[in-house]
Amino acid sequence: MRVQIDDGRCKGHGTCCGLCPQIFELTSDGYARVLVSEIPPEAQELVQTAVEQCPEGAISIEEDGF
Amino acid sequence: MKIADIDAINFFTDRDVVADPFPYFAALREQCPVRREPHHNVMMVTGYEEALAVYSAPESFSSCTSVTGPFPGFPVPLEGKSPAEIDALIAEHRHKLPMNDQLPTLDPPSHTASRALLMRLITPKRLAENEAFIYRLTDRTLDALLPRGSCEYNGEFAAPLAMLVVADLLGVPDEDRDTFRDVLLRKHGHGEQKATDMVGSADTKMSLNPLEFLYQRFSEYITERRANPREDVLTSLANAKFPGGATPEVIDVVRVAANLFAAGQETTVRLLSAGVKILAEDQALQERLRASPDLLGNFVEETLRLESPVKGDFRLARCPVQIGGVDIPAGTTVMVLNGAANRDPRMFKDPDNFDLERANARQQMAFGRGIHSCPGAPLARAEARIGFRRLLERTRNIRISDRHHGPAGARRYEYVPTFILRGLTQLHIEFDPAEGT
Repeated sequence: MRVQIDDGRCKGHGTCCGLCPQIFELTSDGYARVLVSEIPPEAQELVQTAVEQCPEGAISIEEDGF
Repeated sequence: MKIADIDAINFFTDRDVVADPFPYFAALREQCPVRREPHHNVMMVTGYEEALAVYSAPESFSSCTSVTGPFPGFPVPLEGKSPAEIDALIAEHRHKLPMNDQLPTLDPPSHTASRALLMRLITPKRLAENEAFIYRLTDRTLDALLPRGSCEYNGEFAAPLAMLVVADLLGVPDEDRDTFRDVLLRKHGHGEQKATDMVGSADTKMSLNPLEFLYQRFSEYITERRANPREDVLTSLANAKFPGGATPEVIDVVRVAANLFAAGQETTVRLLSAGVKILAEDQALQERLRASPDLLGNFVEETLRLESPVKGDFRLARCPVQIGGVDIPAGTTVMVLNGAANRDPRMFKDPDNFDLERANARQQMAFGRGIHSCPGAPLARAEARIGFRRLLERTRNIRISDRHHGPAGARRYEYVPTFILRGLTQLHIEFDPAEGT
């Protein structure tokens, strides 16, 4: 699983960073950034929560194809 | 205004600070961006980085007193207690605290579940449909106001807009919207109210209390839609699930719906009138925005930064923690002042000035940050952007009413007398409608 942040939509609420700091961080510009290219299985549920709770709908998930 | 003695000022009760809290915030920050005030022993956070640090640490700071802080304060003393004891006391007493069933006061994990439910009610699709409604409602309201040449903007434009936008978002049926308007905007009686407005409510007394009214109405809606699903927004509300698939109790859905009304009203009204006041005081700014509506996005951000409608939010330290190099003992009440962080000169150059082209205006934290960051932010931004845009497009000029607010240079404005909200009680404006509108 991979996640992407739409820079045009992110307003820097930091909700994702608060929910899973191991995956998201706020950059020095104040916007969210994804720290890892592949989401480890144990973090996937929390990342799903972050996607749902982003006030701007700026985060999206790309599932790996088989 | 220069502050001689910061500690002589009681932020929570002084009327002068209500009208203009910013010199006080600046004086506090100059001494230390994390500094205790002596009247209620609250640690005041006025720095940008420091505010961000508190908002980013929900494991160290509980939100159980987020809306009320020291009033009435935590029911039992917490000073000198260990983190484990404080956690136990929060668990034991939180249900007695004001607004304890509302999202802003919840902590994880119950906060995470309730907020997820709320976010399922305001999906991108709903927001897009809602934006079209905002546009139509804005124009309909302006149709009635513009020919008059003047209005009291808060009561006649902003308050009905903010209320009806949430009603639309949640799918309140058209035939019920007048009742919502009457009850929630506190305009009762005056001969206009029809008996049919009270459909579904046996006791009209109950429906006069806004929160009771909302709980009652949404309980009816959700229960009815669960029994008889239809193709409407209320049905999707009724069918929304918690993450993991569990069906919420009716009251869980009712709470988040009521929360949207409670949180999306006063705040949005103050944002709208703060922006229109800035516009009405500056004809050149109006002209620039009429010519370049693309700048409206940054206009909204800069208004949020300069006049943050929520001055701040409280947190309760669960454990000893250091913020900005200052030790905060476990059990301390902290107030994170969004309105002060937004004028921190280390973050925003020349912070007391309105700068339409401020490059980092989007980094304002009027909506808070972190897991409690305002879920209604996109809604507030859409209302402001569309409301300002249509007012500018449909007028040739917008002016402050000298009759109500005094002449330029000696204006009189009254601000809502609370330590949480920042904003005008009323804003009287005058305008000349544009040709052909």
